[in-house]
Amino acid sequence: MSNVEQPDGTPDPQPGPGDELNKSSNGGAQSPGPVHGSGRNPLALVVVAVIAAAMVYFGFHMARRSGSDAPSILGKSTPAPDFTLEKLNGGNLKLSDLRGKAVLLNFWATWCGPCKIETPWLVEMQNQYGNQGLQVIGVAMDDSGKDEISKFAKDMGVNYPVLLGKEAVGDEYGGVPALPESFFIGRDGKIVDRIIGLKGKAEIEDAIKKALKTEAATSAAALQPSK
Amino acid sequence: MMLARINPRFVCCVALLCGAAWAQSGKSPSVSIAPVPLVTAQRTEQTMVRLDFRVASGFHINSNAPKSEFLIPTALKMDLPTDIVLGKIEYPEGQDLAFPFSPDEKLSVYSGDFAINLAVHPLKSVVPGKYVMHGVLRYQACDNAQCFPPKTLPVSFDVKVVKEPPAHHANPAQSPHVHN
Repeated sequence: MSNVEQPDGTPDPQPGPGDELNKSSNGGAQSPGPVHGSGRNPLALVVVAVIAAAMVYFGFHMARRSGSDAPSILGKSTPAPDFTLEKLNGGNLKLSDLRGKAVLLNFWATWCGPCKIETPWLVEMQNQYGNQGLQVIGVAMDDSGKDEISKFAKDMGVNYPVLLGKEAVGDEYGGVPALPESFFIGRDGKIVDRIIGLKGKAEIEDAIKKALKTEAATSAAALQPSK
Repeated sequence: MMLARINPRFVCCVALLCGAAWAQSGKSPSVSIAPVPLVTAQRTEQTMVRLDFRVASGFHINSNAPKSEFLIPTALKMDLPTDIVLGKIEYPEGQDLAFPFSPDEKLSVYSGDFAINLAVHPLKSVVPGKYVMHGVLRYQACDNAQCFPPKTLPVSFDVKVVKEPPAHHANPAQSPHVHN
C-alpha cells in the first residue's frame, strides 16, 4: 500500500532545543541592545526590492518555459541558425544547403488546428513561387510518430520537405513556444521576417516576396554554423 | 534626498507587483484545479469525487472527445494506491465551437470552468486512514491563432477511508422468538 500518511497518524514533532535557540535569537530583536535597522538605507531597500522583483519575474518566466533553455531572440537580419534534420521521407536536410534560395521555415504540429488552415496556403505558395526560388520547409514539432505526421502531410497535400523537429532546433529559433511559427529567410541566409500564430495569407505572401527580393550572399558565412 | 522620503515598504510592494505583472504579461495558457475537499470513502463502496478545473481566459483545450484524430484529447490519469480501485472517469461533453482558424469545422473544446468526476472504490483490505491520490491532467491548449504544446497538470486529493458499517448478524439472544 503506497499511502502517504499512516492511518494512525504520527505525532507532531515536539519543539527541540534548536527551536528554543531560534526563539532566543528572535527574541534578541526585542532586546534593549543596539538595533541596526533603525538607520535603514532606502537605497539598499530599493536594491533588495528590485532583486526580489527580478526573482519573481524569472521564476514565473522559467516556469512558463517548462525548463527549456532561455531562447535567443531572433530579429530581422539575424543569420538563420543552421541545422541538419531528418526528412520525413528519409535522408537529412541541412538548412545551409539551401543557400541562394528564399526559405519559408514553418514550425508546425499535427495537433495544431491553425496549422491545418495554414498548410494549404503554404502548398499554394510553393507552387506559385517555387520557380522564383522559394523553398518551403515544414518542421514537425510533434511527439507523435512518423506515421501520424506522414498521414497529416498526405491529407494536406504537402508538396515540400517535412523535417522531424527537435527541441534543440526550436530553441535555436527562440523556443517556438506556440505553433504555427514561420521564419522567412532571404537568399543571403538572414531572417527577413517572422510570423507567429495564424495570420492572413496576404501577410505570408508579403513576407515571401521580401525574402525573394534579397540577394544571395557571396560570403559562405551567411548562415550560422550548425551546432 | 527625495528617495529618503519614500516609504521603503511601499517601494518594495510596488517593485514586487511590477515584477509579477511583467511576468504575467506574456500570454501563456494554463489550466488550474480548485482545491478538492477531503473525500470520505467507505470501504467496499464506490465514492464519487468531483474535480473542478479552470481554463485561463482566452484559451481553450480539446475535450475528451475531440472531433479530429490529430487533436490531443484532455485526459485524466490517476495513479492510485493499491487496493483503492479507480472507477469510471466521467468527462463533461465539450462545447462545439468554431474558431477563426476553423470557421467551417466546429471543435469540441473545454473553456472556462469544467468538472471531471471519478469514482474511487477502497477494497475491504484497505486500512482505514487518510490517503493521497495522485494523477495528472493532460491537455493541449490553443487560443484563437496559435496552439501550445501538450502539458500536464498535477492533480492530487485526499481520501479518508473509513470502515464499512458492521454487518447485521442474527443474534438469537435478541430474537423476539426467544422467551426466557
